[in-house]
Amino acid sequence: MGKKKNALTPTTFSLLHATDFADRLLYNIVPPLKAGMIVIADRYAYTAFARDVARGVDRAWVRDLYSFAVRPDLSLYFRVPIDVSLDRLMARRVKLKFYEAGMDMGWSLNAQESFRIFQGKVLEEYDRLVDEFGLSVVDASLAITDQQQLVRNLVARQLEKPALEAVNL
Amino acid sequence: MTPDKTDKADNKAEVREQAPDFGANGRIQPGRYYGHGLPYVPMDQYPGKIIAVEGTDGVGRSTQIALLREWLEVQGYGVVETGWTRSALMQPTIELAKSSNTLNKLTFVLLYATDFADRLEKEIIPALKAGFVVLSDRYIFSALARAGVRGVDRAWLRSLYGFAIAPHLVFYLKIDVDTLIRRVLSARGMDFWESGMDLKGGDDIYDSFRSYQNKLLREYGSMADEFGFRVLDARRPVDVIQDDLRRQVQAFLSNSDITTDNLPGQPTQAI
Repeated sequence: MGKKKNALTPTTFSLLHATDFADRLLYNIVPPLKAGMIVIADRYAYTAFARDVARGVDRAWVRDLYSFAVRPDLSLYFRVPIDVSLDRLMARRVKLKFYEAGMDMGWSLNAQESFRIFQGKVLEEYDRLVDEFGLSVVDASLAITDQQQLVRNLVARQLEKPALEAVNL
Repeated sequence: MTPDKTDKADNKAEVREQAPDFGANGRIQPGRYYGHGLPYVPMDQYPGKIIAVEGTDGVGRSTQIALLREWLEVQGYGVVETGWTRSALMQPTIELAKSSNTLNKLTFVLLYATDFADRLEKEIIPALKAGFVVLSDRYIFSALARAGVRGVDRAWLRSLYGFAIAPHLVFYLKIDVDTLIRRVLSARGMDFWESGMDLKGGDDIYDSFRSYQNKLLREYGSMADEFGFRVLDARRPVDVIQDDLRRQVQAFLSNSDITTDNLPGQPTQAI
């Protein structure tokens, strides 16, 4: 829907992702929460806060846009330097996607170069989010087993808390 | 979604305070963003003008706009028309969603906002830069009214549409529900969405239409001051309304910096 046609602006990109998120929130996230289950979300609103602001949308606007979202009980941010993430993608011979590399911004015609510029801005925004929303940072340049041990400790500590916070919609 | 360490209510208030006033009592200058705007598109005072015509379905908006467009073009103005759900990006998706009836009110609001953003950036802003008169068949106010009636938070809606540009003129075609019902029934009948059947107030489409449109008209009415609507009595004959419209548009354009000289006299389809 639009993505392939190279037709999205930063704002329509942001709004379409918010629409998709709203749909998943109401159908896939809120019902299991009400049933007392644990929901593991691979990316959440924070991705939008970082990525959309890196594209130039207003910081306060995108936060307010997502004010219908439920605040996670625990948010893990896997932090990795750009070079490491680029090396990993290249090692898997992943072809960088148009929007993922920020090619829509016209900063560089070279996908790798564009990725570097764009992800640099995205990481800056994530760093801002760590304090603002209390994200738990996991050093993603560590070995996978070490990372997993950290994650399990964080999750275990969270689950020991007396009760899950109420769903606030 | 709110920052950590404080409770939700506190932070919401904080965000609201930071947000610029949203067109309250005409405090937002026409041609400027209502709220946070698009930081990557600075809004200078472009020569073009936005004229929006608002009002519920069946009130006669498109008839009035067609006549107004013709008249403006004869006078040498370049005119671009834009209308709700007409964006190339979103129209197919919105039609699909309407027909399958799977969307909830929140996703509907966001799809409409996406459609508006697409038309704003690709049609309206370029037309303003080029000195056109943009005739908008509905602007953001119908979206605000429909969502408001469905219980979506009004402050959130205004922040969402903070990227919209305040029109230079907003005409509101005002009608009462009895006249509207007779007009809609003699023209094409009541449709599912215009009758607010998604609100599940009952199976009777007539009752649902009346109750829904009543709420909608109240919602429009409450926005008249907030956004500086020019209210036109839509129960009058078409040509009387059109004369009224032309008189007000003429008065506005002749006192503005817009010119007809450097524009072609030929009607312009699009930019």
